[in-house]
Amino acid sequence: MAQEPSSRKASTLAAVLYLGLSLLAALAFVVLAALKGETSWSARLIGGVWVFFLTTIVLMPVVIPWVRKRAEGR
Amino acid sequence: MSRRLTLPVEGMSCASCVANVETALKGVSGVREVRVNLATEQATVEYDPARVTLQDLRKAVEEIGYGLRTATAYLHVTGMSCASCVETVRRALAELPGVVDVSVNLSTETARVDYLPGTVTVREMLAAVREVGYGAEEKLEGGAALDREQEARRREVSRQRRNLLVATPLALLVMLGTFQPYGVLSRLVPEFLHNKLLLFALTTPLVVGPGAQFFVHSFHGLRRGTTDMNLLYATGIGAAYLIAVVNTFWPASGFGGPQATFYEAAALLTWFILLGRYLEAVTRGRASEAIRRLMRLQPRRARVLQDGREVEVSVDEVEVGDLLVVRPGEQVPVDGVVVEGYSAVDQSMITGESIPVEKKPGDEVIGGTLNKTGSFTFRATRVGKETALAQIIRLVEEAQTSKAPIQKLADFVAGRFIFWVHVLALATFLFWYFVGYDLWFTPQTRLMLTPYALSGASAVGFAVLVSIAVLVISCPCAVGLATPAAIMAGTGKAAEHGILFKGGDAVEAASKVQVVVFDKTGTLTKGSPSVTDVVAQGLPEEEVLRWAALAEKRSEHPLGEAIVRAAQERGLSPEDPEEFEALPGKGVAARRRGRRVLLGNRTFMAEQGISLDGLARAAEELEAQGKTAMFVAVDGHAVGVVAVADTLRETTPVAVRELRAMGIRVAMLTGDNRRTAQAIARQLGMDTVLAEVLPGDKAAEIQRLQAQGYRVAMVGDGINDAPALAQADVGIAMGAGTDVAKETGHVVLVKDDLLDVVAAIQVARATMGLVKQNLFWAFAYNTAAIPLAFGILYPFVHQIVSPELAAVLMATSSLSVTLNTQRMRGYVPPVRRRYRAQEVPAAPGAAAPAPAGR
Repeated sequence: MAQEPSSRKASTLAAVLYLGLSLLAALAFVVLAALKGETSWSARLIGGVWVFFLTTIVLMPVVIPWVRKRAEGR
Repeated sequence: MSRRLTLPVEGMSCASCVANVETALKGVSGVREVRVNLATEQATVEYDPARVTLQDLRKAVEEIGYGLRTATAYLHVTGMSCASCVETVRRALAELPGVVDVSVNLSTETARVDYLPGTVTVREMLAAVREVGYGAEEKLEGGAALDREQEARRREVSRQRRNLLVATPLALLVMLGTFQPYGVLSRLVPEFLHNKLLLFALTTPLVVGPGAQFFVHSFHGLRRGTTDMNLLYATGIGAAYLIAVVNTFWPASGFGGPQATFYEAAALLTWFILLGRYLEAVTRGRASEAIRRLMRLQPRRARVLQDGREVEVSVDEVEVGDLLVVRPGEQVPVDGVVVEGYSAVDQSMITGESIPVEKKPGDEVIGGTLNKTGSFTFRATRVGKETALAQIIRLVEEAQTSKAPIQKLADFVAGRFIFWVHVLALATFLFWYFVGYDLWFTPQTRLMLTPYALSGASAVGFAVLVSIAVLVISCPCAVGLATPAAIMAGTGKAAEHGILFKGGDAVEAASKVQVVVFDKTGTLTKGSPSVTDVVAQGLPEEEVLRWAALAEKRSEHPLGEAIVRAAQERGLSPEDPEEFEALPGKGVAARRRGRRVLLGNRTFMAEQGISLDGLARAAEELEAQGKTAMFVAVDGHAVGVVAVADTLRETTPVAVRELRAMGIRVAMLTGDNRRTAQAIARQLGMDTVLAEVLPGDKAAEIQRLQAQGYRVAMVGDGINDAPALAQADVGIAMGAGTDVAKETGHVVLVKDDLLDVVAAIQVARATMGLVKQNLFWAFAYNTAAIPLAFGILYPFVHQIVSPELAAVLMATSSLSVTLNTQRMRGYVPPVRRRYRAQEVPAAPGAAAPAPAGR
């Protein structure tokens, strides 16, 4: 029971990390798309959402165990 | 202290699910080892019961979106009068391993026990309740667990069938509506079906109804940070559906133009995956058919003799020592020994032996076998979990749950596949958006096998479509099934022939065997030697035999028994020795009235300083004939030679020939002297002879062969040869009969038939062949299809893979694996096709040397 708060803390930290990184990736896509000359806001938005979604899926199984491992190591 | 439990897990559909469940269970503090098998839908967990409860394991599995399949038993409990009694009964049941939940109702006198089938029996529950002072009876008939297991499978099949039945008309209408303007459909299909709002109305219930399971499972997995096949499905279906909705309500958004609504992609994708799920549910039921067939053999009723009267009781109530009556056409309820009557019993379901076996007083009968002709009474010797049938079921179940090394590799690869597929999908999207679209896109672009010209596709819409195709086409669903389905089919088929593999690793190891080493006595031979010659020197023959019999009187070795028997047959009554000492691998020494008698081989005589002049030549001649010559010495002087020969089994020469024809080296391991051993090896066509091996050195001989780089199988008696069987890459224990669980070795043969050694290797090779073919179909498909989905051909053909085509290809992969595995159903080991038991030619020169190396 004593471990539960630290485990919850690790989960929250992991979520902040992978969601934050995914959001950064999505923003990077939107910026790069604009630089490429994409004029449609809907296209930039849809592309950004798709990048966010795929990046989240890629990052979750990497970030969660990494954060948990570090939390347990401490 | 640790406990091992097999948990039936519900809801796993792919190798990634296996990895998820394994990870979740390993994450429970106190769990030591976890093995999850997709095909059997079971997880074997080794854990510390002081730190982990079954509820903890159940919670860990349920938290990631799966469930534990439990069975429920209803007990009628009498004698309870208050809430305290209820708590006592509840606690007694809850403490049994394998019990998940207990609820006791005082007013209805009923205890409802949710438990894991296979880990605890109703009989044990009844005993636990009775032990705390209450009366208990089962409310359901015996065999209920099997019924429930079948019921659970039926439920899953009917759930998937229901999904398919709902999805099929909807998907068909969506497809017809989408393609209505094209070709002959424009005349056959009413135009209103092409209305995008109607297509939206038809596709939505399909996606949120039967297709909802993929989204729900993905959500559960994602919540725990795990990804599985369902996520690929959900991404593919969800993205196709969302693009269709966007194109319906915002047609100018650049996802292929107003005509490309993709409702048919979402609908057909869902339908194909549902079809795959349905076929998988049906096939999984069939894959465990071997177990179910064995379980069906378990009799439910028995006729017990009580005070001279026949009373019919549930088989669970039979106890060791009970006298039971079996009539013609009835099943033998439990294992036992015939005490009265005579009959022929069909044992084919246990031993694979096609001819009924005669049973008379003193003979063993096996529970589950079928009485053919007469009636007989027998005394129960093994009941419940101890019966041969229960042991066989347990062994086969364990074998089917365990993983072959090749499967561990496949699971490892499949487990990481999903991750890399999403990385690839992301890379695909970015490549086609930033680079590929500008370089190669033309307005003539089409989706393969669809009428769409994607002239209006924007860069982002085009790139999303290609990345969806990559996601869908990459599903390695077939990889998860490839190995376990084949192992289940193979081990089940082997069990039908009385060959019990103790695990997937045993199957794999047996398929790679290069050398088969046979222990001679009791394996190549029947193990019942007899005296063939007595050579005397200075004493009459009878006197030599009498001294030899005196020396062996207290011996329990087959050789000693043969000599004593020969003396008795000649009317001699060998006296009991006052002192006796057995020297393994050498001989025996005994003393009577001050005279010392020795019986043994050359080494033994040499060690004792006894001259063999005059007898050595006679012994050599006997040995050249393949007989075992034993020297007899009295008071330090050699007085004769006793030659003993065993009888080869009828199938020995055929088995050796068949193994050699399969490219396997055959070796004989014996304690006999080299000359004798070589004589019999020549007779049988053996490649290698390991002679003069002391019993304790057998394992070292196997090790020596392994050091030379051979993968070695050792065939022997499961008890005497245990160290050698354990040392070998594959230990094959022969003739287990009714005691299969006690046998050492990786493979247990129920019968005493050497052809089963050949059959075991043939089944193992066929199974591993199937595994490799399945893995090929699963991986080769992905390897070939992913570049296609990535759009590698697009610059040349201007066509991209449509999501529905990706789904067809994915389903093809799963179907290839499923259908390929079904081929095992009709498999009969070639050696069994060629030689039925009655057709095996008699062994030429049936005499074989007796076991000198004791």
